[in-house]
Amino acid sequence: MLKQLSDWLDNRTGYKHLISETLDEPVKGGARWKYVFGSAVTTAFMMQLITGIFLMTAYSPSSSTAWGSVYFISYEMVGGWFVRGMHHFGAQAMVILLFLHLLQVLIAGAYHAPREVNWWLGMVLLFITLGFSLTGYLLPWDQKGYWATKVATNIMGLTPLFGAQVQKVVVGGSEYGNQTLTRFFGLHVGVLPGLLIMTLAAHIMVFRRHGVTAPKSSTGSEPFWPKQVFMDTVASVAVVGVVAFFAIAERGAPLDAPAEPSSSDYPARPEWYFLSLFQLLKQPAFAGENEIIGAIIVPGAIVAALFAFPLLEKFIPRKLAHLLACGLVFGLTGAAGLLTMQAMTADSGDADFKISRDKADVARRRALFLAGNPKAGVPPEGSRYLLLNDPLHTGQQILEQKCLSCHYFDGKGVMERGKDGKKVMTRQVASDLSGFGSRGWVRGLLDNPSDTKYFGTTPQCGGMKRWKKTSKLKPDELDKVADFVASFAKVGNEETIDDWMTKEDVTKHPGLELFKKDCGRCHTVDAGGALGEGGEEEAPNLFGWGSPRWIQRMIRHPEAADRYGFLEQKGQMPGFDETELAVREMTVLMKLLKGDYIPNPPEPAKAGSH
Amino acid sequence: MGEPPKEKPVTEPNRRSFHKFGSILLGSIIGAVLTIPGIGFILSPILRKTDAEDGESTGDGFQALAKLSDLQEGIPKVFPVLGKVKDAWVQYPEEPVGSVWLVRKGEAVDAFSAECPHLGCAVSLGPDGNSFFCPCHTSAFTLEGKPNNPVPPRAMDSLEVVLKQTPASDETEIRVKFQRFRTAIPEKSPLA
Ligand code: FES
Repeated sequence: MLKQLSDWLDNRTGYKHLISETLDEPVKGGARWKYVFGSAVTTAFMMQLITGIFLMTAYSPSSSTAWGSVYFISYEMVGGWFVRGMHHFGAQAMVILLFLHLLQVLIAGAYHAPREVNWWLGMVLLFITLGFSLTGYLLPWDQKGYWATKVATNIMGLTPLFGAQVQKVVVGGSEYGNQTLTRFFGLHVGVLPGLLIMTLAAHIMVFRRHGVTAPKSSTGSEPFWPKQVFMDTVASVAVVGVVAFFAIAERGAPLDAPAEPSSSDYPARPEWYFLSLFQLLKQPAFAGENEIIGAIIVPGAIVAALFAFPLLEKFIPRKLAHLLACGLVFGLTGAAGLLTMQAMTADSGDADFKISRDKADVARRRALFLAGNPKAGVPPEGSRYLLLNDPLHTGQQILEQKCLSCHYFDGKGVMERGKDGKKVMTRQVASDLSGFGSRGWVRGLLDNPSDTKYFGTTPQCGGMKRWKKTSKLKPDELDKVADFVASFAKVGNEETIDDWMTKEDVTKHPGLELFKKDCGRCHTVDAGGALGEGGEEEAPNLFGWGSPRWIQRMIRHPEAADRYGFLEQKGQMPGFDETELAVREMTVLMKLLKGDYIPNPPEPAKAGSH
Repeated sequence: MGEPPKEKPVTEPNRRSFHKFGSILLGSIIGAVLTIPGIGFILSPILRKTDAEDGESTGDGFQALAKLSDLQEGIPKVFPVLGKVKDAWVQYPEEPVGSVWLVRKGEAVDAFSAECPHLGCAVSLGPDGNSFFCPCHTSAFTLEGKPNNPVPPRAMDSLEVVLKQTPASDETEIRVKFQRFRTAIPEKSPLA
């Protein structure tokens, strides 16, 4: 039955002949282990094709969705971490195997006539593969891919004549964004696979025409099937096994924080096999004007030399040409190895690199944690806003950039590079903001206004200190006042002073009378003076003190009469209008100060899958 | 390795079948390693536990759609249901995720999902205002949700309703538990 079916099919298609022709292809000199590299590369490519198609069913190429979809693949879909891990490490395996294949072909002299064309086709395959790796690196739209791609495409822009135009076309404009991703995606899943399959087919066809380059001593031949096939399959199992090992050991592929174009200190590094080129650019010889030499001319010359290998023998004896070719490749490999090592040791010895990498890791863990948290999740505006809307991440950043050059937070300022190049902590010239608006903060202030946490570093604000010297309030009374003042922070954005003042929480508060008697001498709350007439000394208005509305006004208009307008201008806090502190930034800052955010889990979230 | 073949390389039958068998076995292993996780990946929607728990309405699943006084006896009115939607990786804030028809009968209220039991189009009011009608394939229903013609496989999907007196005013709140059901089958079977 089966036989009949296969005969029928053969009669119509001639497939048996095709198969036997493929399998019975004679291998000159017999099957050998050293012929397995080509097949191993092909297996690696098939692996990329299969895992890539799976990934394609879940990936979404746009700057707002790419990171989220990759997160979803790696952390939520069944086996997603493994599929993506295989694709990630498979890509590296392919580069390594291609290189080994190249070495093996080179040493065997398999690039000599009549196999020149196949050497060139092999070179083309190598470049297509590097193209895959460059385009694929960007697709998760994480910090790592974003910045590495920016560097790589800027190098492309250095190319004489058309560089700038080519760069613009590849990037899809001068900004990196949706068009960059859709273009890279199209290249990665459409153009490059098409080119690679066609080139690979041609490469195998030409290879079949000339056969293997057997050692001179060997004689006879043996069919491809089954011994060479077996050897190739063993090699392929080894490849898949090693890749699977890395995918499992590393629990999938890494995913950095979502791309953030405004990052000021992301330590961009390319994939490890591009590190030598990266380091080459850092050589003093290629600084400034000479950049183009390191970025384009040297790599270009190497490529030209590789292409020229099969032609050398036309000008010099074959033996010498071979020696020269091998010498050049080994020399370059050694140099590349040295550069790679240099790049790695430079980073591991660089304290600044470590600091910014640690910072990037904190952001990465935070982003992954929030993306998986049911109370947060990737917002519809885009993955980037996962961190931008996060008080803990972005609020902290704003605090450091805009507030901590004068204020402290939790006893600390920020580290700044002084004139001598050494990093020192900023000097505190304003209060400590941690817990600002809370009962603890007020109570501490009432105890010791001269503490550096309060007005100790602002001699121009002496009111509270003078009050403390004369005040007769006892600790239990201070407790009540603190309770009362801390309740101001609950005043809502829409609440009017009249509504608030008639609330029982206010009218019956045990701290009310004490407040009127002591605080009300300087501070006003309501215009009518029901909570104190003020006037003894100038002081800010306390209605809603510690609430977002009070703090916002303080930040936007510190010079206002109801804030610190009474100080001399040089003693005032500088105001921040909406261009200096956008509404979104204000919101996260407020939330940070109020502690209104999802705290990090006690154990840092592990990279990789669960 | 790979000792140079003799004058005429003859591989003994034993080795030949070892190589044949080995190639096929190892090849299948590669195929399995690559495709089995991939199949799991594709089948994720079936294999993973659903997000239903953190999506859609919260708490007991009931949400207030309207007040009893919003409805007039026997005149159906449609109300949106709110839900937090998680679309794969994207978490949307609360927004309308479906519609419910409410019909008042004295002091009781009937609630029907506006999703047609036929193939899921949105059911609207019939031209007479006294029946339901689905514009897609002309399913028609009475105001009780019963099929009026043979197109729909079952009655409109009724939803659980509780009427709750609000403490502040003497309004009665209509709270409905919104659910989705499989379409095109005679039974009313909730979607997980
Ligand atoms: S979906 Fe309503 S009639 Fe077909």
